Amino acid sequence: MSSAVSVQQLTKRYSFSRAAKGFGGALAPEKVTIEAVCDISFEISAGERVAIIGPNGAGKSTTLKMLCGILEPSAGGARVLGLVPWRERKALAYRIGVVFGQRSQLWGELPARESFALLRRVYDQDAAVFVRRLGELSERFGLAELMDQPVHRLSLGQRMRCEITASLLHGPALLFLDEPTIGLDVTAKAAIRDFIREHARDHGETVLLTSHDTRDIELVCDRVIVVDEGRIVVDQPTDQLRRTFLARKLIILRSQAPRLAIDMPGVVARPSEPHTTVLEVDTRTARIDQVIAEALALGGIDDITIEDPPMEEVVREIYAVARRR
Amino acid sequence: MRSTLSPAVAERGPLAAAAEAFRLGAAQTLSGWPVLIGRCLFYVLLMVVLSGLWDKVAAERVAGLAQHARVETFVLYVGATEWITLSIPALHLKFEDDIRGGALDVHLLRPKPYLLQAVAQCCGWAFVRMLALGATALAMLNLSGRAWPSLQALAFIGVLGVFGALVGVLLYALAGLGAFWARRVLPFQLIVQKLMFILGGLFAPITLYPPILRRIGAASPFAAHLYWAGVQAIRPSLRLFLTGLAWQALWVVLLSLACAGLWAAGVRKVLRAGAA
Repeated sequence: MSSAVSVQQLTKRYSFSRAAKGFGGALAPEKVTIEAVCDISFEISAGERVAIIGPNGAGKSTTLKMLCGILEPSAGGARVLGLVPWRERKALAYRIGVVFGQRSQLWGELPARESFALLRRVYDQDAAVFVRRLGELSERFGLAELMDQPVHRLSLGQRMRCEITASLLHGPALLFLDEPTIGLDVTAKAAIRDFIREHARDHGETVLLTSHDTRDIELVCDRVIVVDEGRIVVDQPTDQLRRTFLARKLIILRSQAPRLAIDMPGVVARPSEPHTTVLEVDTRTARIDQVIAEALALGGIDDITIEDPPMEEVVREIYAVARRR
Repeated sequence: MRSTLSPAVAERGPLAAAAEAFRLGAAQTLSGWPVLIGRCLFYVLLMVVLSGLWDKVAAERVAGLAQHARVETFVLYVGATEWITLSIPALHLKFEDDIRGGALDVHLLRPKPYLLQAVAQCCGWAFVRMLALGATALAMLNLSGRAWPSLQALAFIGVLGVFGALVGVLLYALAGLGAFWARRVLPFQLIVQKLMFILGGLFAPITLYPPILRRIGAASPFAAHLYWAGVQAIRPSLRLFLTGLAWQALWVVLLSLACAGLWAAGVRKVLRAGAA
């Protein structure tokens, strides 16, 4: 399979001035350099769906920006679809689609249809091809009733469906998604994940995704690259990562009793407030439904929440394991 | 499985995208029609006050203005300059938002130049405003019972007004591009605004200035923005029209080059540093 993304020893250093202590420091600020991305290398085959994960400040977005061509590296090289992104930004733009979960590419005051019309011109799309693609995406995403409403009146989930549509209208071969499900409710997240996975599979698109939500990674991607402090600490298939690191869930029980005692193999109680019991469940050993059944049998349960451990925790664990190796 | 969405691109120049951005800008202004009506009412209020002022000046022959035989036409001059001023959108704030707020990333990922699209979008906003405010001006003129300028003068004001607005958009664009280097562009905008007031002849024609200031003012982009359209309300003539048009063309070219230069330098900075 041909390579869609090829990264060799990519490095990005940021330099800035900082006032040192004292009067002299104010006059002669010291120059500080931080390494946001440090000597990373990886290959992504065409059609692969890869997640880059890591805690805040790990270098995910910096890497993504360099691969999109909107940030020049300090050292190293990369080719995306055969192009050097930061030198051939315009040519690359025709062939990639990008979604920033926290930044809109649509015009808030106008219906999404108007933004799509502008994007047709921006990407020099033939009218017939554009209409066909918009029709396909609209049908798949249920946009028919949304497209004529001003974007600022759409819910976050509806807007994200329009954002992803906007990024696909020019038929990109590679899709960059930066936190595509951030802030969405459970239903909207599921719809977005299903769409990305199915669309990429059906159209052979390569997907590179960053997220803090482990479900995005599990449900969309075949492979995970974990970065921490600018370095790759793990690069392995999602199945393998799931077996090793994503096998824990948190069950949060709010109860009338100050504390619930559940004694099952693979279940550990974490410290918590009174009337709240936080159980860490190793899903390789204990089943979620069995733990919940056990809790319900105790009676007096007001609320149950199931969560993934925070990404920071997962990455810390991955990092700790990687260090021990 | 291969894509039905494989790129089908016949690369074209940036003008089609700019034209679409212009159309969307116009649609955006129309979609905010209550704001547009508010702007027209504000124009009426301004003109009521300013016409009162100039009518008093004309009636009392304020010292220094006696040699200007047609001081009463200064109301029309101010009407024209205010028509242009109130039509110019705050492009500098859009640039500040985009550059400082991170939205620039999205625009840099596109194959067509964002600067041209942003200016085109802003021209779309301005165009609709000019139509609405122009109609308001003509309605006010009709209701006021003042003498109408000739059709030729109105046509000259219209053409020079449109190009004057373009010069204004580019001046604000220049101020807004300062956001690549400064957190807030308000100081740049204030400088531009004051110079429009002083050298552009916002409230009074620069022909009232001492000769040296008059010459400096007339050659400045601020006069290209306001004065040359306004002066047609006082002294309509083909010679002044062509002179004004020439100055405007010159300043459109120079300001466009300055904007393109600043944009290129700013983008280079962002591509290296990751943010402005």
